[in-house]
Amino acid sequence: MSKSDSYEMFVEMDKMDGDMDVKIKKKKKIKKKEKLESMKKEMDIDDHEITIEELEMRYSTSINKGLSSNLAQQILERDGPNELKPPKGTPEYVKFARQLAGGLQCLMWVAAVICLIAFGILRAKGELSSYDDLYLAIALIAVVVVTGCFGYYQEFKSTNIIASFKNLVPQQAMVIRDGQKNQINANMLVVGDLVEIKGGDRVPADIRIITSQGCKVDNSSLTGESEPQTRSPEYTHESPLETRNIAFFSTTCLEGVATGVIINTGDRTIIGRIASLASGVGNEKTPIAIEIEHFVDIIAGLAIFFGFSFFVVAMFIGYAFLEAMIFFMAIVVAYVPEGLLATVTVCLSLTAKRLARKNCVVKNLEAVETLGSTSVICSDKTGTLTQNRMTVAHLWFDNMIHAADTTEDQSGQSFDQSSETWRSLGRVACLCNRAIFKPNQETVPVPKRQVVGDASETALLKFTELTIGNIVDYRARFKKVCEVPFNSTNKFQLSIHELEDPLDLRYLLVMKGAPERILERCSTILIKGQELPLDEQWKEAFQTAYMDLGGLGERVLGFCHLYLNEKEFPRGYAFDCDEMNFTTSGLCFAGLISMIDPPRATVPSAVMKCRTAGIRVVMVTGDHPITAKAIAANVGIISEGSETVEDIATRLRIPVEQVKKSDARACVINGGQLKDMTSDELDEALRCHPEMVFARTSPQQKLIIVESCQRLGSIVAVTGDGVNDSPALKRADIGIAMGIAGSDAAKNAADMILLDDNFASIVTGVEQGRLIFDNLKKSIAYTLTKNIPELTPYLVYITVSVPLPLGCITILFIELCTDIFPSVSLAYERAESDIMHLKPRNPRRDRLVNEALAAYSYFQIGAIQSFAGFTDYLTAMAQEGWYPLLCVGLRPKWEDVRLQDLQDSYGQEWTYSQRLYQEYTCYTVFFISIEICQIADVLIRKTRRLSVFQQGFFRNRVLVAAVVFQLCLGNLLCYCPGMPNIFNFMPIRVQWWFVPLPYGILIFVYDEIRKLGVRRHPGSKYPSSVGLKSYLHIIFHLT
Amino acid sequence: MATLKEKRTCGQRCQDFGHFVWNSDDGTFMGRTPEKWVYISSYYVAFYVVMTGLFALSIYVLMYTVDPYYPVYQDRLKSPGVMVWPDMYNDEVLEITYNMSDKHSWMKMSSCLQHFLEPYNDTKQSHCNYYNCTSGKYFFQPKFDAPKHTKWSCPFYQSTLGNCSGIEDSTFGYTTAQPCVIIKMNRIINFLPNNGTGMAPYVNCTVLEGQENVRGHVYYPENGTMDLSYFPYYGNLAQPTYVNPLVAVKFDLINQRHAKIQCRVMANNIAYQNIYEPYEGKVDFHLTALS
Repeated sequence: MSKSDSYEMFVEMDKMDGDMDVKIKKKKKIKKKEKLESMKKEMDIDDHEITIEELEMRYSTSINKGLSSNLAQQILERDGPNELKPPKGTPEYVKFARQLAGGLQCLMWVAAVICLIAFGILRAKGELSSYDDLYLAIALIAVVVVTGCFGYYQEFKSTNIIASFKNLVPQQAMVIRDGQKNQINANMLVVGDLVEIKGGDRVPADIRIITSQGCKVDNSSLTGESEPQTRSPEYTHESPLETRNIAFFSTTCLEGVATGVIINTGDRTIIGRIASLASGVGNEKTPIAIEIEHFVDIIAGLAIFFGFSFFVVAMFIGYAFLEAMIFFMAIVVAYVPEGLLATVTVCLSLTAKRLARKNCVVKNLEAVETLGSTSVICSDKTGTLTQNRMTVAHLWFDNMIHAADTTEDQSGQSFDQSSETWRSLGRVACLCNRAIFKPNQETVPVPKRQVVGDASETALLKFTELTIGNIVDYRARFKKVCEVPFNSTNKFQLSIHELEDPLDLRYLLVMKGAPERILERCSTILIKGQELPLDEQWKEAFQTAYMDLGGLGERVLGFCHLYLNEKEFPRGYAFDCDEMNFTTSGLCFAGLISMIDPPRATVPSAVMKCRTAGIRVVMVTGDHPITAKAIAANVGIISEGSETVEDIATRLRIPVEQVKKSDARACVINGGQLKDMTSDELDEALRCHPEMVFARTSPQQKLIIVESCQRLGSIVAVTGDGVNDSPALKRADIGIAMGIAGSDAAKNAADMILLDDNFASIVTGVEQGRLIFDNLKKSIAYTLTKNIPELTPYLVYITVSVPLPLGCITILFIELCTDIFPSVSLAYERAESDIMHLKPRNPRRDRLVNEALAAYSYFQIGAIQSFAGFTDYLTAMAQEGWYPLLCVGLRPKWEDVRLQDLQDSYGQEWTYSQRLYQEYTCYTVFFISIEICQIADVLIRKTRRLSVFQQGFFRNRVLVAAVVFQLCLGNLLCYCPGMPNIFNFMPIRVQWWFVPLPYGILIFVYDEIRKLGVRRHPGSKYPSSVGLKSYLHIIFHLT
Repeated sequence: MATLKEKRTCGQRCQDFGHFVWNSDDGTFMGRTPEKWVYISSYYVAFYVVMTGLFALSIYVLMYTVDPYYPVYQDRLKSPGVMVWPDMYNDEVLEITYNMSDKHSWMKMSSCLQHFLEPYNDTKQSHCNYYNCTSGKYFFQPKFDAPKHTKWSCPFYQSTLGNCSGIEDSTFGYTTAQPCVIIKMNRIINFLPNNGTGMAPYVNCTVLEGQENVRGHVYYPENGTMDLSYFPYYGNLAQPTYVNPLVAVKFDLINQRHAKIQCRVMANNIAYQNIYEPYEGKVDFHLTALS
């Protein structure tokens, strides 16, 4: 992406219309789209199809001598180093600027500009009597900047946590140039280089294999397949991802050696293209950002409506145009909830912190809520749902399938180990195994120990270590004399051992391999320690077991043994592995062992919780359909009793075409099928099958699936760890990467990172997200309410010309000081009902702030608060000598700086400064009234349906503390010496604190009655029947 | 989600808004059917009627508890303010600047004082405040002895101001360099200026800047005292005809004829040092005579 492109994205993202030429912008957009579309198509390379000679021609190299150093140097200069360009991190200033450009922030910027304009007008007119407008503008800007810094700091902190995971070990590669073997840094490699890889290496670039010896690679970071893939020179598949003769950059070579010619380096490798695909995918706006924009729309609409109507009123009363204009601006500005931005930011970061404690690190504060509104989770299989390690899952011996313990901490049930057959089977599994533990791991629990060897041998080693015990010792007792390693032609592995009993001079031959091949070589079968002849009946039983285990998506191995005839093979017999000068048929079949990458222990219950929470879990994996389906069934993504179309077809014995698609709850789609589907078909499939598994998907297809879910109106969370997941992670509404297993690319693209790689943490995230949405609703309602008692004094001031009841600085104190704590404390409110049993919110219907909530806050609770404020105001005025009727129309005289003997209702004469202090007293009294009413308000906002008595007054300790703190702060502001001349607060009479109290009680009682109504008349918001009942509905269901 | 995020053109937005205002499909106007609008607005009308009723009730209770003769609190009126006439301001500073030879200029000053002294007209005073007060002591009136259930107010005659009364010299000296200014102290219910027993408060003027331009000043009445019989004040319901005692000061300007003057009402319980209350117990003004 060019610089201007990224700039454009930023501009787009923040909905700011720069003064860029529209045409150019459009063109660029089209270009970008094309680029993306072409990326989404399968990658087309043909380097795997052509012959070696053609390959040599193409890259002017030689498969014997490699490139010449000079040519390599030239190519290096042309193509650049072989490394992934670090994803262009957003520049820090852009990140900061983003913090200043959200919906609420824009509203506040506009308000600040209006303030400055009003200040300018007053200044130009020379009527400047106060600097309130300037202070307000400064306060607004300060709030935006300070919360911006706060948000930036929060994100900076979590970015740091993530950055600490990066490992920066430079990679080495063995390259052949000019016929010489050299060890060089992997980033110096160029196209055409001849490289050598061996077990344990990371593949340094995309390589066409020339020669190979038992080379296996782990492609899981690319495709998600957990099984090792064989790499050999043969061209086996037209798709470059499937064919055997290409090894990919950043995958690991597990065993064997291979040489190959580099066909792509750096960003041009498959993985590089995927990574750049991720950066090309636009970031989605978070649901909470959309909600806040919607809310800003409401606020702005109301502000302009109010401002305009009072502009008309002011003109009608006879104010000059410019004055009326100033009023208009002041009203619009007064509508801006200054404290809300801080409240929202603090609430979100509190939740982020809470999540971080539960191992979810959130990169973007707004993403905290996104999980709460998530309706679909597209989960990767390997490493997220599963443990990402092969484990023995089942055994078949004595004509029975036994289940092994697959839990991570070995807490599960073990099978019956008393059978004699098991002892034989265990012995074969133990001895016919080349894997060994890496040294010095005695203290590490067995499942976590590091092993040298391939995945299935590792699984068997760990399994036997756990069931039989000390394998090193055990193997030492059976001295190995000969071994034939596994190869793809005979598909078995065997070894010959001496027996542990020194008197028994027989040799023991043990063999394992593909079950059908093993069975071919057997003539007897071990049942309960008895060798029985292997007749048709037993073969049938074997077939059934093999099919069953295979159907579970497990990799099955067969085991057999044979005591070699002492006569034929006496001690010291020279066994020859290549010639196989010994019996390899007529063996005794011991059993089957099947392995799988088992699901994590916490996953099934987490999936269940997601289900009850109305969240659909879709599996998207690169693994085989059968394995994917088995794991899906295992963890509950495909629930018990659900069938796919194919299952129904087999059960009813009818062709697949005749099955009604709607009957099948589950559906497994593999990448090949997906490729031929139009997006409409995919949408249709997602719509009619609630339980979906996508197998053998490419990264591009993951993206398509996510987009399809989004088209259906879902909010999509994507979990993943591999590079292959990163485009989907980026595209998702919330991308969740794994902290331990996750690749850097995935972490970069994600919005949230699970430090413990535990899928169950997502459920916590969902719960917290839903809670914060509910609680933000409460916080916002609380914050909005006081806007009205802050605004009405000004309206009355301009229309009735009373002395100003509430000053600008006082309002700022309410907004930014005393009321912040209670509104934040609502974030600690516990859920009213079991939020994990509700459906995810419908982003179209369940808004953060709807018109009804705003109307209830503004025109009912806010109105009561205004009445309270005015009562207290008039009390303070009347008791100091100014009767209410005298106040009407008093403003011009009251505010006359040159009038030092204005008479009150008793004939007493007041100087200007005495009146000013009286005005400050009014501000303070009004302030106190708002505070008292806001305490009632925070109590009613604790719940939206339940009675506060049911919820408990004191259960939210933070809220209680916040209210106490608010009162203390109010007292401090009132009674701290020096306040009158600094912040316009006066020490007021104690009894004036109690004047608004009845109104506070009224608010509480009124809302309790409303809640009672809601509980008594639950149901839809707009019932169809008309009458008193529906009338009550309309009134009660206001929030 | 995608549908929520797609950008809409202005036309579509307007159309949406139009649809919101009047939705012909389900007959809703601004999101509600007219019927529901009637419900909701009648609810709001009822709500506001009740709230206004409660508000009116509380104001009624408030006024019921307030004493018409005496304010509940006098928190801001601990000490009276002082003001000077003619009250000519330049911005927020008192500046009595006049041109002796410009009739328009000095007429402004003299007519201001004439106007100010209207209530103190001797005949007016003798007509409404005919009670004979004993000077030299507070005039306490625990009962309503005056007619119409009021209390007596002591008269203050314009003539008491002697040369500054405007009776002999209706220009108040503004055609010369000896202008008169009148000092008035604000009235506060039950306020008793205290200078020790029997000692009345008095006005004391000092020249703050331009001492060399002021040859001297004379107080009317003598010594600039405000007689104790004018205190305490009982409020305009009890004393509808009460007038504040005045003190006139005649300055004699020389040289540049410009000075900054402070006139203070001297009493032990009158504060004057609060910088935030510039008119408390004292008044500062510039006096300039041009020719």
